[in-house]
Amino acid sequence: MKIRTAGRHTREGFKNLFRNGWMTFASISAVAVTLLILGIAIILTLNIQNLSTNIENQLQINAYVSDSVPATALKGLEQELFALQGVRSIKFISKAQALLAMKKQLQQNSNLLDGLGNPLPNEFVIQAIDPSQTVSLAQAVKATPGIQNVQYGQSYINKFLAVISAVRDAAFIFIIVLLVMGVFLISNTIKITIFTRRREIEIMKLVGATDGFIRGPFFVEGTLMGIVGALVPALILNELYQWLVTSVTPFPPFSFLPLAFVMQRTVIVLILCGVFMGLWGSIVSVRRFLRV
Amino acid sequence: MIEMQDVWKEYGNGIAALSGVSVQIKQGDFCFVVGPSGAGKSTFIKLMYREERPTKGHIFVGGFNIERLRERQIPIMRRHIGVVFQDYKLLPKMTVAENIAFALEVIEASRRTINRRVAEVLDLVGLVGKGKMLPQELSGGEQQRVGVARALVNKPSVIIADEPTGNLDPENSWAILKLFERVNDQGTTIVMATHNRELVNACRKRVIAIEHGQIARDEERGEYGYED
Repeated sequence: MKIRTAGRHTREGFKNLFRNGWMTFASISAVAVTLLILGIAIILTLNIQNLSTNIENQLQINAYVSDSVPATALKGLEQELFALQGVRSIKFISKAQALLAMKKQLQQNSNLLDGLGNPLPNEFVIQAIDPSQTVSLAQAVKATPGIQNVQYGQSYINKFLAVISAVRDAAFIFIIVLLVMGVFLISNTIKITIFTRRREIEIMKLVGATDGFIRGPFFVEGTLMGIVGALVPALILNELYQWLVTSVTPFPPFSFLPLAFVMQRTVIVLILCGVFMGLWGSIVSVRRFLRV
Repeated sequence: MIEMQDVWKEYGNGIAALSGVSVQIKQGDFCFVVGPSGAGKSTFIKLMYREERPTKGHIFVGGFNIERLRERQIPIMRRHIGVVFQDYKLLPKMTVAENIAFALEVIEASRRTINRRVAEVLDLVGLVGKGKMLPQELSGGEQQRVGVARALVNKPSVIIADEPTGNLDPENSWAILKLFERVNDQGTTIVMATHNRELVNACRKRVIAIEHGQIARDEERGEYGYED
């Protein structure tokens, strides 16, 4: 194809957007509505992901040291625990620090502890590199000589991880269903658009245009409709998310991801999907009317 | 230029539109194709630009063996002939100039050539100053002149016209015929299917009459010869 023909297709593609005013509007609207819903699903998914990461990061193992372990051996025990497979961090809380923290928690009732001495053990707070490995790591910690007991919310961890995994799967299936519905909606809109232009295609063929020559402007048109159809929901979502981030204060462990982070990813996905939908719609639909 | 050898055309419903048609049209001929409605005129014409394929027989148009054309060769063959249709077949959302230019764009002509040729044919068909109008802003006669201009712009060696005056009043019909005569004078072959008795009888050109899918008459300076 000569450069001037590529230029001609681009020009014609642009012109066709305006020549077919209402049909262009219908096609762009179909793409925009689908991508708006997809965009909302993406933003929700990103934030759910963020929430689950936040919560996962808070999963920890409290390992209580036996009182028989002398203070001089504590450093060695810490190193031994840190050397276990899958440990991300380890923090030592001495008996004294634990007592102080408890007194702070009890506030005016802290005198209840008077006369008891310090019943609290020395403690290590351990976090796993992979939160899903918390249970197995806790067992390894417990098996370490000098550790009297561990606490890690055994049943809670498993259930919580299962819920997060289910939410992620549901979001993924939701997105797939939306995409299928969107493709169906768009293909129908484009079919109607092209159907109204089947005579145009027929005439072009009778005048000696090759299939490729006829497709060229349709591809440009489809791509442009896809891009515009993606930019419209991107702008709407940008405004909505900005409003949400500035006007709603979330409670921990929930927090909104930053606007730029979310929108960069969402806009890229929307534009790619838009272009794909536009191009795919043009290819499938024009092909139906090229047999003249 | 155009040759049909024992051409048969049967449609899917079993109707035989043409039965054993053989004809030869030489370069520079001006030839009317006449006959009653449903006699096979349109099929005869459509076979020439490969809108239909023959069931049997051979068709040669300007060096192309029509029934052996591959799918991708069809557009190339169509660029060598100009076709004029009864319903004009103009692209409704393109201007007059864009419609005519389209036939040159498909052969990837330069912008300069396109502009020059479009201006030339607009002048030839008497539509100077109407290049920027849309087809629906023109009268039927003017639209058909755009159709003729588009057929001519590639300087084809043959013009095939299927009832080009079918939707026109006598005045516009004559204008189209005069255009064809002018083009024919410059050596372009013209094949024109028509129901227009006055035009055929006034011109006294070659007349091929088709009846029941067969050639009933082929006269050098013929007449229309039907009552309809």
